Amino acid sequence: MKKSLLQLSMMALLAVFTVNVVSAQQPHVYINPGHGGYDSDDRNMVIYPFTQGDSAGSWESKSNLRKGLALKEILEKKGYKTSISRVTNTTADDLALSTIVALCNQSGADVFYSIHSNATGTSAVNNFPMVFYRGYTGSPQVANADVLAADLEPYLYASQNTVWTHNYQIWGDWSFRPEWGTQGYGVLRGNRAVANLSEGSFHDYIPEAYRLLSFYYCWMEGWNISLGADKYFNRLDNFGQGVVTGNVRDDRIKRLQENPQPFIVYGDDNLMPIHDATVRLLDAGGNEVQRCVTDTLRNGIYVFKYVNPGTYTVEVSSPKHFTQTAQVTVSANAPTYQNFFLKRVRDTPPVVVDYSPVWHEGDPAVKCSTPITLTFNWDMDDETTCNAFRLDPPVEGTFEWQDSYYRLVFTPTDAFDVNTLYTLTLDKSAEHGGGTPMEEDFVMQFYTQKRNHLEELAVFPYEGAQVHYKTPTVELRVDSMLDTYNLFQRLRVLDSEGTELAWNKRSIKYNKKGDDYGYIRVPLVKDIEPGKDYHLILDVDIADTAGIHLPAARDIVFQGVDAGADKPGMEVVEGFESTDGFSVMVDPITYYTGSEITASTDRLFGNKSLQFDYEFDFDVETGRSQGFKFDEAPVVKFSRGDTLCIHVWGDMSYNIPSVILLSTPYDGYSYVWPIELGEINFHGWRYLEIPLDLPADSTFQLYGFTIRLYHPLMGKNGGTIKFDNLLKKASSGVDEARLANMQLTVNDDYIVVSADTWVQGLELLDINGRNVKAAGGNCLNVADVEPGIYLVRVHINGRTTTQKVAIK
Amino acid sequence: MKRMLIVMLAAVVMLPVMAQEVEVVSRQRLLEGVEGPAYYPVLDNAGERLLFTTEGGALKLHDFADGVTTVVTQDYVAGRDACFGRDGKVYFVTQSVGEDHLVYRTGQCYDAKTRKANVVTPTRHGAMRAVPAEQGDAAWTEGSRVHVTVGGEERVFSPVDSWAGYLWASLSPDGQRVAFFAAGKGIVVIDLRGQVVAMLGNYEMPCWYNNNYIVAQNAKDDGHQFTSSQLLLLKADGTWQTELTKPASMTMQPTCGGGKIVYTTIDGLLYEMEINIYE
Repeated sequence: MKKSLLQLSMMALLAVFTVNVVSAQQPHVYINPGHGGYDSDDRNMVIYPFTQGDSAGSWESKSNLRKGLALKEILEKKGYKTSISRVTNTTADDLALSTIVALCNQSGADVFYSIHSNATGTSAVNNFPMVFYRGYTGSPQVANADVLAADLEPYLYASQNTVWTHNYQIWGDWSFRPEWGTQGYGVLRGNRAVANLSEGSFHDYIPEAYRLLSFYYCWMEGWNISLGADKYFNRLDNFGQGVVTGNVRDDRIKRLQENPQPFIVYGDDNLMPIHDATVRLLDAGGNEVQRCVTDTLRNGIYVFKYVNPGTYTVEVSSPKHFTQTAQVTVSANAPTYQNFFLKRVRDTPPVVVDYSPVWHEGDPAVKCSTPITLTFNWDMDDETTCNAFRLDPPVEGTFEWQDSYYRLVFTPTDAFDVNTLYTLTLDKSAEHGGGTPMEEDFVMQFYTQKRNHLEELAVFPYEGAQVHYKTPTVELRVDSMLDTYNLFQRLRVLDSEGTELAWNKRSIKYNKKGDDYGYIRVPLVKDIEPGKDYHLILDVDIADTAGIHLPAARDIVFQGVDAGADKPGMEVVEGFESTDGFSVMVDPITYYTGSEITASTDRLFGNKSLQFDYEFDFDVETGRSQGFKFDEAPVVKFSRGDTLCIHVWGDMSYNIPSVILLSTPYDGYSYVWPIELGEINFHGWRYLEIPLDLPADSTFQLYGFTIRLYHPLMGKNGGTIKFDNLLKKASSGVDEARLANMQLTVNDDYIVVSADTWVQGLELLDINGRNVKAAGGNCLNVADVEPGIYLVRVHINGRTTTQKVAIK
Repeated sequence: MKRMLIVMLAAVVMLPVMAQEVEVVSRQRLLEGVEGPAYYPVLDNAGERLLFTTEGGALKLHDFADGVTTVVTQDYVAGRDACFGRDGKVYFVTQSVGEDHLVYRTGQCYDAKTRKANVVTPTRHGAMRAVPAEQGDAAWTEGSRVHVTVGGEERVFSPVDSWAGYLWASLSPDGQRVAFFAAGKGIVVIDLRGQVVAMLGNYEMPCWYNNNYIVAQNAKDDGHQFTSSQLLLLKADGTWQTELTKPASMTMQPTCGGGKIVYTTIDGLLYEMEINIYE
């Protein structure tokens, strides 16, 4: 090769051309092993046992350089001219992109390889090679850059030293990074050579990060890139030696998860790479041709470089494994891949060295959710060990191997039965990985506690619930403290297409120590759609802190509604826009006023709703009901057949609110007529319609509202209830009793009802609406009832109708 | 007393440096609405004509006097090292990929008067670059060497260590010094004996604004893309420097001639800048 030549042009002294002549057919490859150094931009993957910033650890800058130097060595051995942008890994090697491009251009190289590894930068874990060139995919800016990439990629992808997750990809950088416009990758911009940027693999795939620590592995990527160059320059037949390479792994011991965070592994990467394995290349006469030793960096890679074509034996030995051999055939200028899966030497029979639960007669009983764990002295054979496992009484469950088959965990599909003595026998037919069985059976026993499932106390939404669409709140209540770890993965809301809805985790409420029951309460981030069905999924894995889980998974279907939708044709009786005109009811005995009325901006109509915060007084019976009343009753009156409609906001207190009506005076009396609105078994707004079964000859006005303790556990701490628009739907004029041709007769001893249809029962109420007496059928004995004015509620045709009666 | 004397001396030494100021007199877009993205600008010594490369790869010549822009060649890579000869012609290198996939390069000369290009260095495989020469004096780099030809005598220097190599050599207008870039070291100014006059910092693409000042690019990247790029004015003796543009301006590839500075941006917008230097 001739050195630099200054050739004066024909018009000397005007401009000159510098010419650096290489031999006519000698390709010139410029190698750019990326940026150098151990700095923050040099892609340090923190993998055990290395810490952040440790230069002995995994750095893209380091592995890129090893690949680049290998490529340089191999190409020069193959007769290429090479240039390289760095040969050390220091910060000073951090050449600017435009400098690298200018150096390549000045060198006059035919092709340019910029060598890198990739990272997803996300939680996704992939491993496959990619090659880029400048321009749009299929339309390179420098001619033939796509051909160079197509010639390279199959050789990278052919590597069997790694585990690929996807096929290789080739891209024009403008197509791959459309958000960058036509800027593209900096080392391709302005590059006059036929240029590629290769991402040989993904260094954030942890097993790959370990492989990239291997000189052998990096050398092989250099070798494979050289084959791409050979293919491109039609020089595959020009080199007479090949390579033998592969990966040495245990045949069944799992790779250790040594990093602080568990990492994903694919395929053969699940198996433990073997350190310090001696790998020998033997010729046909058994003579050692080459020898190498796998490193201790958790990759198991070996390489025999520059091997003459022929048939060889590769022998792998390791102190803890049986020696293994394989015959390989080496071809010129081609890689021969030979992976090994070594069997461990196991020289004693297997025994159980530890187990749980450990229980002896007289010990406390074992939780019904406790898994059975057996730990062995050797890695065990899956099939013979699981077949040898017998429980009496039998229990269905699943087996899980841990610690590379050293530990077997049996988890019952449901829970163990309560108050039961279980006997586990592991028959001596169980074998370790080497095929030797146990010498004697292993037997253990345990006795279970009296509780085996988590009991669901309440859930909202419940099956068929109508749920107001605004960021609904979901709550699950159970009979002991929930284990909140990963609870969001076990409690899910799906729309009708199966898409999971997001939780507003900032507003989550959990049970805490000392609570009366376990619960999780959390709203959704977004609104749901009225009219659409949704599913609340409770996984069976939802468990308490003792590991006791639900008896079964649940799929609860509920529907989105708009509780505040227009109700045309109804009269607004009260809008609850202000606290003016309302007073808290004071207990006549204790004068207890543990309640408060406020105006709330959480409303369905207007500007405000009315909020009632209440606490019960457990000192007296009357204290278990709290209420508030109108200072002056609204003018609108209700009659039998009307419907009272109201919007109520609930807190899942399971207390029961009532609207209190007061009749117009009759014979000097006014009746208090409570209308129960049902249990507050929901969160958020709900629209309620209550058909009024009022005495036929009276009208009623609103008096107030009460809420009484109904559920002694969930409601005892009081709560909050809100009201918005109370409406009246006037009677249609059709009277069920009249349709049934009902007649009511009162004699000295009985109230008797006759009708054209079935009369289900009668209730006798006093003027305060309290039940005095009731009976099924159409007769009610009133012989023992004090004389006076009463109301009779008749249940007929599934409806009720009420009439006043005078008992004398 | 001794300490006070040292402080006073230091203040005296600093004064001329502190007193130096640069005023950006004007800054205007070039060829706005006429040309698309343009890169690799090259001014002639008089600042009267400008070479640039379009995004599609064509090398074009713009004459400031008549505002006419002509296409020198459509060859995609020709604009990377194109230069003006003293005869006013444009010297450039084209390349093609042969059937053997080797890259073959040809030296050419374009005459704006005839609008024709002629081959001046035959096609061959290997490196080939056009280098501007003034009265036969020229400077260029090859590997980690800078070649200086003065009065027909070629001298080769390697004044600083740089594994990756030297780039962007140019003679000062008075022909007395050479500025070049050493990878990993930055801009180096040497005299004609190869003695280092100054190390100006790790900047790129130096061009002589006049005999005393150099304009250079200061670009940063993340290994994939540029993250900032600005132009700096550097005193050639290494005693002073200042920003001409801000790092976020993404300005790059400066060229100087006739008291003008022309540069482009990351997205190919050409600008002309005029400055006054007060010393």
